[in-house]
Amino acid sequence: MSEKSMHAILTHSPGTAIGVTLVAIHLISALFAPLFIPYGPTELAGPSLLAPGSPGFPLGTDIIGRDYLTRLVMGGRTSIFVAMLGALVAVIIGGFIGVSAAYIGGLFDDVIMRLVDTKLSIPGILFVALCVVGFGRSIPVLTVVIAINYMPGALRIIRSQALTQVPLDYVKSSRLRGESKLSVIVRELCPNVLEVVVVEFAIRTSSAILSVSALSFLGLGISPPTPDWGLMVYEGIRQIYFAPWLVLLPAFLISTLVIGLNFATDGLANALGLDAARGLD
Amino acid sequence: MLTAILRRIGLSLLIIFLVAVLVFSATEVLPGDALDVFLTADDLMIMEPEQIEALRREFGLDKPAVARFLQWFSGAVVGDFGVTFIDKTPVSEVIWDPLLNSFLLGLVITLIAIPIALAIGSTTGYFRGRKPDTIVSSLAIIGYSIPDFVIGTLLIMAFAVWIPLFPALIFVFADAPALELLKVSLLPTVTVIIGHVAHLSRLLRAGFIEAMNCEFVERARLSGIPEKRIVFRHALPASVIPSLNSMALFIAGLLNGLIVIEKVFGYPGLGLQLIEAVDKREVHVVQAIAFIGAVLVICMNLLADLSIIILDPRVRSHKHE
Repeated sequence: MSEKSMHAILTHSPGTAIGVTLVAIHLISALFAPLFIPYGPTELAGPSLLAPGSPGFPLGTDIIGRDYLTRLVMGGRTSIFVAMLGALVAVIIGGFIGVSAAYIGGLFDDVIMRLVDTKLSIPGILFVALCVVGFGRSIPVLTVVIAINYMPGALRIIRSQALTQVPLDYVKSSRLRGESKLSVIVRELCPNVLEVVVVEFAIRTSSAILSVSALSFLGLGISPPTPDWGLMVYEGIRQIYFAPWLVLLPAFLISTLVIGLNFATDGLANALGLDAARGLD
Repeated sequence: MLTAILRRIGLSLLIIFLVAVLVFSATEVLPGDALDVFLTADDLMIMEPEQIEALRREFGLDKPAVARFLQWFSGAVVGDFGVTFIDKTPVSEVIWDPLLNSFLLGLVITLIAIPIALAIGSTTGYFRGRKPDTIVSSLAIIGYSIPDFVIGTLLIMAFAVWIPLFPALIFVFADAPALELLKVSLLPTVTVIIGHVAHLSRLLRAGFIEAMNCEFVERARLSGIPEKRIVFRHALPASVIPSLNSMALFIAGLLNGLIVIEKVFGYPGLGLQLIEAVDKREVHVVQAIAFIGAVLVICMNLLADLSIIILDPRVRSHKHE
């Protein structure tokens, strides 16, 4: 991406600039937080439910005496990691299958698209619930489930983009040059759908972060004692009457992260002439 | 047109079958079987091999997977999902009341959300690129970026803790009459509507912009039809058609939203039942709820596609993909 287009994306609208800033702050804090935290995220560091401003505990402690600031800054890492890795796998594998289906067509395309329809018919949380019953709760399972969950939607979008490329002359001429199917798909088609793949990755990452936090809230995602914002909101609800900050702070962080991601994605998609606002499957 | 309709119905039946395979196999592909999910390691330690074999026969697990799938599927299509592990109640009995409750909540939400989204979507689409559009579209992004469970929790804080107008948790039995349920469901309804109106209005906005760019709108303008009439009689109905394509999306999103919000408020619906079933490892209940949810999505999608075939003259004459 050239410098000029990068500049165009950032200045496209104030929303985009705000979005990029929010995402940058979140990513930096998620990356470097472990260097600065005074306690372990699951360490019982002090008495239960200290108020914010207590000496040694700037934001107090949670119900079992873990430092709240530590858990707060560490609480986005797991879900961001799971969401980004899951979305990345989804767009890479889904993208490759989608481009192949568009190029090969025929029965292969039909079979793939019916499988896509099948997966898209099962609402995400129901699918995850099935997998949790079948495979148990763990971070690897959750990552794979997120990847499978977002693959069909990404596949469909990338396939329809690839379909606009298949009839073009450059594809025809590479076929006439005698390139193999795989070579046409990987070397000719894939680079030409890259912009859509990047936008899909951005859209699906922010959606996956929402999903992972909702799943953790429901008890189907990241499990205790790992610090996670969705989980922390759920754990905090029981103290809502006398310690509302236990709910408000993680709620604020997860919301600003996703708002930032969506504004940044919207700007990116607009700058590339794509639509990020369509519904997400 | 008739072949298009029949083709579409056939396709839906095929997908229902494939969903059934997926739902059934998700809990079957692991080494071992449903018994391992049901029994804990401790149970396996103290039980005699004969006892385990007997249990296995009782659950029908001694038969091959294909036979079990066919048995499960032939039951599932007529609403028989087997019995629960713990107390052998029929699954259909366990999920019937929650299903109705969730359906009620979903219906109320849809009936309120669609007109609001239509109004917002067409207004922002009409003023696209100008100030009202920019502001409302930004608000919409914020609206669907905040997780449902956060909106729900904030509403509980505002209207149950700080200004105690509503109960923070709903204490109503699953078989309570509809009116009693509706009385306590104001906060959950508002919660789901906020996120969904935000999403839906963006979809409808895109459809409206597309419709306003169509030739027939240009033609209507040139023939001197008043702008108001163009918007309400020509563009608005046409703008709904592309968003019908996203029906599956909307229903699936609504179901996801309902599950989360039932957990937040303790509303006695299918979502709450699902979470409980996952905790108790009631495989049959989870399978049943996943299957019902998927069939609902497929049916609503079919309905939307059929109405597109019937309503849209452009699709009517073409081969429908």
